Amino acid sequence: MALANVFEKRANKFCINDNMDVLIEILKRLDDRSLGVAACVCRLWCGLTRNDSLWEHLCFRHLSPPQEGVRTVVLALGGYRRLYMVCVKPVLSRLRVGGAAAELERRVWTRHEVELSLSLFCVDYYERVLIGGGGGGRLGGDSAAPPSSLMFLCKAVNV
Amino acid sequence: MKRDRDRGKSEAAAAGTSAGKAKMWAEQADAGMDELFAVLGYKVKSSDMADVAEKLEQLEMAMGTTAEDGVSVLSTADTVHYNPSDLSGWVESMLSELSNFDMVSPQFGGGISGESSSSNLISFSNDTQDRGFNFNFIYDDDLRAIPGGAILSNNHKNDSDNGNNKRLKSSPGSEFLDNGVPRPVVLVDSQEAGVRLVHTLMACAEAVQQDNLKLADALVKHVGVLAVSQVGAMRKVATYFAEALARKIYKIYPHDSLESSYSDVLQMHFYETAPYLKFAHFTANQAILEAFAGATRVHVIDFSLKQGMQWPALLQALALRPGGPPSFRLTGIGPPQPDNSDALQQVGLKLAQLADTIGVEFEFRGFVTTSLADLDANMLEIKGSSVETVAVNSVFELHRLLARPGAIDRVLNSIKSMNPKIVTIVEQEANHNGDVFLDRFNESLHYYSTVFDSLESCSGLTQEANDQDLVMTEVYLGRQICNVVACEGVERVERHETLTQWRVRMDSAGFNPVHLGSNAFKQASMLLALFAGGDGYRVEENDGCLMLGWHTRPLIATSAWRLTPE
Repeated sequence: MALANVFEKRANKFCINDNMDVLIEILKRLDDRSLGVAACVCRLWCGLTRNDSLWEHLCFRHLSPPQEGVRTVVLALGGYRRLYMVCVKPVLSRLRVGGAAAELERRVWTRHEVELSLSLFCVDYYERVLIGGGGGGRLGGDSAAPPSSLMFLCKAVNV
Repeated sequence: MKRDRDRGKSEAAAAGTSAGKAKMWAEQADAGMDELFAVLGYKVKSSDMADVAEKLEQLEMAMGTTAEDGVSVLSTADTVHYNPSDLSGWVESMLSELSNFDMVSPQFGGGISGESSSSNLISFSNDTQDRGFNFNFIYDDDLRAIPGGAILSNNHKNDSDNGNNKRLKSSPGSEFLDNGVPRPVVLVDSQEAGVRLVHTLMACAEAVQQDNLKLADALVKHVGVLAVSQVGAMRKVATYFAEALARKIYKIYPHDSLESSYSDVLQMHFYETAPYLKFAHFTANQAILEAFAGATRVHVIDFSLKQGMQWPALLQALALRPGGPPSFRLTGIGPPQPDNSDALQQVGLKLAQLADTIGVEFEFRGFVTTSLADLDANMLEIKGSSVETVAVNSVFELHRLLARPGAIDRVLNSIKSMNPKIVTIVEQEANHNGDVFLDRFNESLHYYSTVFDSLESCSGLTQEANDQDLVMTEVYLGRQICNVVACEGVERVERHETLTQWRVRMDSAGFNPVHLGSNAFKQASMLLALFAGGDGYRVEENDGCLMLGWHTRPLIATSAWRLTPE
């Protein structure tokens, strides 16, 4: 009898998966690694974290105001998640060597950093899709491995 | 044993180089030096021979216990490398002279791994940073001018003053402070072999200059032997230069007509490995972008389209400019392909696809020609300046025109008739076009040593795929070296000239300089900061032009020009 009561009580509790808008609000505030972890929770969360607008928010949340037309271009070249992984993250971490990882989120982009990231992203698209990948055998699409021209961003820097 | 090899080498060299360049140390004469050891560079007093013998025994023990392969022990990661120049006075000089650096003694840098000792090119700075550090650190990669440098001269057997002034003064002394007893260590003299290598190269070049081909032949072979003892950048540079010299001596000239698709591939790898081309593209694009401000139809003429790597970034920047993108027209010029395929058209197609993706109106035309001088501005069908704004872009192309007399003037005139708003030129910052072979050789030796050095840092933490990139990049540079050194006349197309020389030429042809501006500078600096080894690269502003260099040596220069208004 007591057990049934427990179950009943549980049924009335708040379940995050039923409140997607709250869930999305929370996910919006996470950093990239946490988003990756969140993606492993369940299929629903996996789908949500892959949503490009979350990553757009991550890329440019501190850019004010967001440049018009950027979204069309970025989406055409492969989406914000790719932009973040391939260009934004390495650019930010390289150019702000002093700061801790958490600080990456709070600093404001400068115009030049944005321009540079977008240019590199475009070069990435050109190489990957049009030239067919300089490194040979690398998967396109969702793969996080960038084509050769941007490999320099993958190498650890002598800090 | 290395010692025996060394002795064999130096004897062979001594026999062959009676007329080599002689650089002498004016130094205090040390009396009583053993002459045989002096030839090898060891300052050993005859009275200390017993001591020396004992230490050599320890050395043999160490070599025997630490390695299977007698040669590789000298460069394995486990061994400790010391400069063996002064065996008998070693411990005392260690302890007492730790704070005295000889003004001209070569920088000591021992390496614990083959990789790191590679960047230790000949350097003659009095670099006192070494003191506080572990001897493992390598830095200071400049190949400074050799005159006055330490030399183990091959031709001073009868000179009992001989010996280099090197003293081992760096912190390995701390090893001794700990237990007070010298440990058995492996003694490697890569520093010295490096100096000898450079000297031999230069002596060989001089022999070629004087048309003394027998001597040159002997020296070139010696270079080959010495090069093997080096690692990393020094070895690669020496190998390429030796090959180029050999070609010159035996008159086996390479043909520049190597398949242009092959050279395109090589340049792609160069693009990926090192920041030079990226710097060139980004700075030129910035200048073009600023010149195109406010224009609704733009036309870019690219003197060497290759894979078109420069243009995606410009297209993207134009797509996002406030006010929307202009209508973009690209004219790409390239050499004929051996298989008659239309490479230019394929690149144009890809760029068109990209432009379509990001929403820029795009038009492309390709022109195939063996030489820019054959091109007529009329062929390009440039519409008037009221209709379209024109930019001319040349990355590493103009210097090739200097091989034929009059070609550069023809091309500059045809550029003028295109009526461009801006002309962007990127060229190597070096004078490899002097009339005297020896000067060219020395200049290019310095230049390419610096470039290879910078590549070493790029590859520091390389992944496997990048090893191939690095090798291809080196081949790309090696072909340039070969052309500068071995070829003559119209075959020699790598006729690099300095920014100053280009300035004079452009001025007299009727162009005014356009300053590149702080945006280009900032973007270039950021770009370089992204590269591993970014500490070594320097962006400099030179009277409106931007130069990218490695440490103190500028290597490429971007400049922008417009027509002198009437």
